[in-house]
Order: sequence, then C-alpha cells, then structure tokens
Amino acid sequence: MGRELVRNKTVLLIFRLVLGGLFVYAGAVKAFDPLDFAQNIRNYQLVGQSLSFVAAIVLPWLEILAGLALILGVWTRGAALAVTGLLVFFIVLTAVTMVRGLDVDCGCFGSLSRKSGWGVILEDLGMLALGLSILLDRPINPKAK
Amino acid sequence: MSDARRVLTQAAALVALSVLVGAAVHFPLVGRFARGEFRETFFQASDYPGVRLITLEEAEDIWRTQTAVFIDARRGGLYSEGHVPRSLSLPADESARTLPSLVMALARVGTVVVYCEGGDCQSSLALAKRLHEAGCRDVRVFTGGWEEWRAAGLPEENGQKQGADGERVGQE
Repeated sequence: MGRELVRNKTVLLIFRLVLGGLFVYAGAVKAFDPLDFAQNIRNYQLVGQSLSFVAAIVLPWLEILAGLALILGVWTRGAALAVTGLLVFFIVLTAVTMVRGLDVDCGCFGSLSRKSGWGVILEDLGMLALGLSILLDRPINPKAK
Repeated sequence: MSDARRVLTQAAALVALSVLVGAAVHFPLVGRFARGEFRETFFQASDYPGVRLITLEEAEDIWRTQTAVFIDARRGGLYSEGHVPRSLSLPADESARTLPSLVMALARVGTVVVYCEGGDCQSSLALAKRLHEAGCRDVRVFTGGWEEWRAAGLPEENGQKQGADGERVGQE
C-alpha cells in the first residue's frame, strides 16, 4: 500500500516535470517573438488583429508560469487546470481548423511548429492525459497538502 | 476554502499573473500597439531590412525584366496546377529542410520575389523572413499573390515542382 503510493507519487512527479517542461519550452519560444506568434494566431482566421495581439502577449506567459508551477510543485493543481484548459482549447481549435480546411502552422512550438492536423491533436491528447492525472490527483485530506 | 474553489483561484491567479508579466516584458510593444501600430500587419519592416512588400505592377515589371527569381511558397500541388512562369516551388513548411541548397543558388541571383495564394495568405511572408534569416538581402513579397496574378491575366505555367537547381525540391 505504502509502496504503491510512492510509485504513484513518482509517476506524478515525472508527469509534472514532462508536462511543465514542455509548456515552459512552448511558452518561451513564443514569448521570444510575440509578433510572429500574433501572426500565427491571426492565421487561424478566428479572431481579429487586436485580440491576436493580446493573446500573443499573454498566452506564452500563461504557458511559462503554469509550466513552472508544475515543475516546482507550487499551485500544482491550479496549474494543471490552466494547462488542461489550454489543451482542450487547442484541441478544439485544431479540429475546427481542420474542418474549415485551413492550411496553417499550428504555432505550437515557434519555428518548430508543424501544420495543424491529426499529429497536433494526438500530441495535445497525450499532454491532456498527463494534465488530467495531475489535476485529478485529489488529496484525501486537503489540509495535509 | 473548498478544494475546487482553491484550484480555480490558483488557475485564475496564474492567468492574472500572465497578463501582468506579459504586459511588463513586452511593454514597448504594448505601447506601440496602443499608439495604433500592428493594426494591419504584425510584420515589422525594421526587423527585416531587405524584405519589402511589393504590388502587382512591381512584380510584373520585375518578372518581365527577369531581374529576380520568383519563388512560390504554396504547397506543391497548387504549384503544379499553375504558377508564375519560371518560378521555383518552395513550400513554406518544407523550406526549413531545403533552404540551404536553394540559398546558395539564390545568393548568386540577388533579388528574389516570393508569393503565395494572395488575400490573407501568410506563407510568402513566412518564407521571406526565413530567407532573410538565411542571408538573402533582397527579398520582395508580392502580397497580391497568385490570385492577383491570375486575375490580371498574366502568363501562367503549370507542371512539376522545380527546385533551385532544376531538381525536385526535397531531394538533396
């Protein structure tokens, strides 16, 4: 029983580090060139110029801060909620983009981005699984955490 | 505070922090946006000296005088269906892989003109930025693109993808 708990904790720690690392990296490459990212958002033809700009200023930092929180174990479940929320949004956005037949870079990892498509959705689903396991790892006694 | 509420509060705090940090780090950019910049395009000419946006007339003039190489940034299939005569195909998403050999050839030529579908298409601008970063110093972006070229009744050509050395793009 005790051993199971430790193993579970180790797995969750790995999940946090992997997911947090990915988000910090994804955020950092975008925060480095906000105008390029703003153009990426604009290419989805979903929001106008102003909202694209605002999203390009804020989103990368949300990814960085949530990723850092996951890595450091501070506000872990709040960060997991932010990350899973973002991932659900990315998955819906990619699906809608595919249905609309738009040919756009996903914008996920700066210049390493690929075209929006099934690959991106699968990647996001994988990360979503990690995020959900962290989010749903509910402390039995909240005060103990 | 209930568990769910605490998680929500943490997530909301992260969002609020992101707004603050983003605005602080990119303060100069936000200021420029507030003063009315970036309302048409996010392209900053000052970041890419040597990259210029050109009109149909300029593109046609350059094409007729053969003073530049035209590069089609659309996907290969679209290029095969029809493109600006003598243009090379370099889909923007493939250019990371195939740029080196092309750049060697383009550097000798001097000026390049890039175009994509037209309208809202962005791949020509993306390719122009990449070419600029790879060392091309005179890149013109024909923003009207293929749509405008066709609508003006200018010459067309169709057929296979052409790389810079007349080889298929991607085979190095």
